[in-house]
Amino acid sequence: MTEVLLEFDRVAIHLGGREILSPTSLALRRGEFVCVIGPSGCGKTTLLRAAAGFVTPSQGSVKRSGLPVGGPSREAAFVFQDYGRALLPWRTVAGNVSLALEAAAVPAAERPQRIEAVLRTVGLAAHAHQFPARLSGGMQQRVQIARCLAQQPTLMLMDEPFGALDAMTREALQDELARLVREQGLTVLFVTHDLEEALYLGDRVVALRAQPTAASPSVAAIVEVTLPRPRHQLSTKEDPEFLRLRRELYQYLGHA
Amino acid sequence: MGSLRPRLIRGLRPAVLPLLMLALLEAWARTTGRDSDAVAAPTLALRAWFTALADGTLLSATAFTLLSAALGLALGAAAGVLLGTWLGLSRRAANAAFLSVELLRPVPSVALIPLAMLMFGFGLRLEVSVVAFATFWPLLVLSQAAARQVEPRLLEVALALQMTPARRFMHIVLPAMLPRLFVALRLGVAIALVVAVTVEIAANPMGVGYALMIAQQTLDPALMLAWLFWIGAVGYAVNALALALQRQVARRMGEPAP
Repeated sequence: MTEVLLEFDRVAIHLGGREILSPTSLALRRGEFVCVIGPSGCGKTTLLRAAAGFVTPSQGSVKRSGLPVGGPSREAAFVFQDYGRALLPWRTVAGNVSLALEAAAVPAAERPQRIEAVLRTVGLAAHAHQFPARLSGGMQQRVQIARCLAQQPTLMLMDEPFGALDAMTREALQDELARLVREQGLTVLFVTHDLEEALYLGDRVVALRAQPTAASPSVAAIVEVTLPRPRHQLSTKEDPEFLRLRRELYQYLGHA
Repeated sequence: MGSLRPRLIRGLRPAVLPLLMLALLEAWARTTGRDSDAVAAPTLALRAWFTALADGTLLSATAFTLLSAALGLALGAAAGVLLGTWLGLSRRAANAAFLSVELLRPVPSVALIPLAMLMFGFGLRLEVSVVAFATFWPLLVLSQAAARQVEPRLLEVALALQMTPARRFMHIVLPAMLPRLFVALRLGVAIALVVAVTVEIAANPMGVGYALMIAQQTLDPALMLAWLFWIGAVGYAVNALALALQRQVARRMGEPAP
């Protein structure tokens, strides 16, 4: 039994008088990859922001490593969907990664070598001195992921990170992320609206429904994805188990 | 060689119209307008300019005006940017300051001359204080807008990275504001120069504005015209300098030159 890294304990969130998330309990074990799917406005991003400490739950508590989340921490890296806005346009790729190191007060002498190492892991070593605006969307998102890796987190909170990318780039980044997570032993909470992406990446998939009521709470279903790893874009997606889960989740979401 | 001449011609083209107008003025001043007390021939103005340059009045008056404008702008900009940034970042501060700003901002800066004269007498401090007041408001308003327009996502990134407030300001807020601050600063430069000369014309017996007034009062249209052109030339040079600085900064910030 591995330890629980992130725990939502009957977390409910109200924003502007509206219940965004009805009491939800969920625990992520260390090293686990959990995907959250659901229609727009179901509170999946809010759930993620609560895990990051950007939002305080109105009820219940969020715990990281057993301690209540009081605010953002470098332990938990947040990957935003809109990479274009989450990068400093006036800094190069290396400069953007450096921001995480500066924030952590890493001595200037250590930074170049750590930046290089991180950029190499995401395949951006050759672009260290480019400005983000010169890079493609996929590469910009890689820069953001590199910055998050540089803060050496245990937990990655990812908010539809590949939602704005074209299908080819998205698949390439999915495989790259799966590899990174395996290599670095990261725990991931990954929000997406793409059912196949959730099944392809996750160890578990949590389906949320849009308008929670007392009778039907936010969590519509949680499915275990036991498909073998490493997964493959073609063979995994043709696996009968994948198709079965896809159908099952589709029905849950259809009802929501 | 073949490309040099067309480029030279193209470079000179903008000068054609002003030169033509100068020539017309010259012709008029030497014929029908010979007895005019208001307008002199540009060639006479040029001679008066050289005389002023030779006797030192040109440089000392210009130095005084530029110094007043620069000091006033430095004070007004420093206060305006600091307060504006604060108001831009804190909604509460902005709400508290809104009425005061909107009441004081429309006061024409030259209306402050009588008060400043009582407080400081004639001299540098009078002029600096009025220029500072005049430049403070636009810089306040523009830097408030600049601070408010800092990408909220970047502030969240700072939050997620647990950056200290000082680091957040130095590494995120300030650089994000910088391009807009330079636009504000360029506007401030233009205002500072105009207000400095205005104060000299209206009250302060120093600088190029006062020299212009003296030339008028001693019925010396050639000298007056010389000062007028000179003020225009100085203003052009100062603005060109500010623009060059702004472009330099934009380039360093990784943006294509505007």
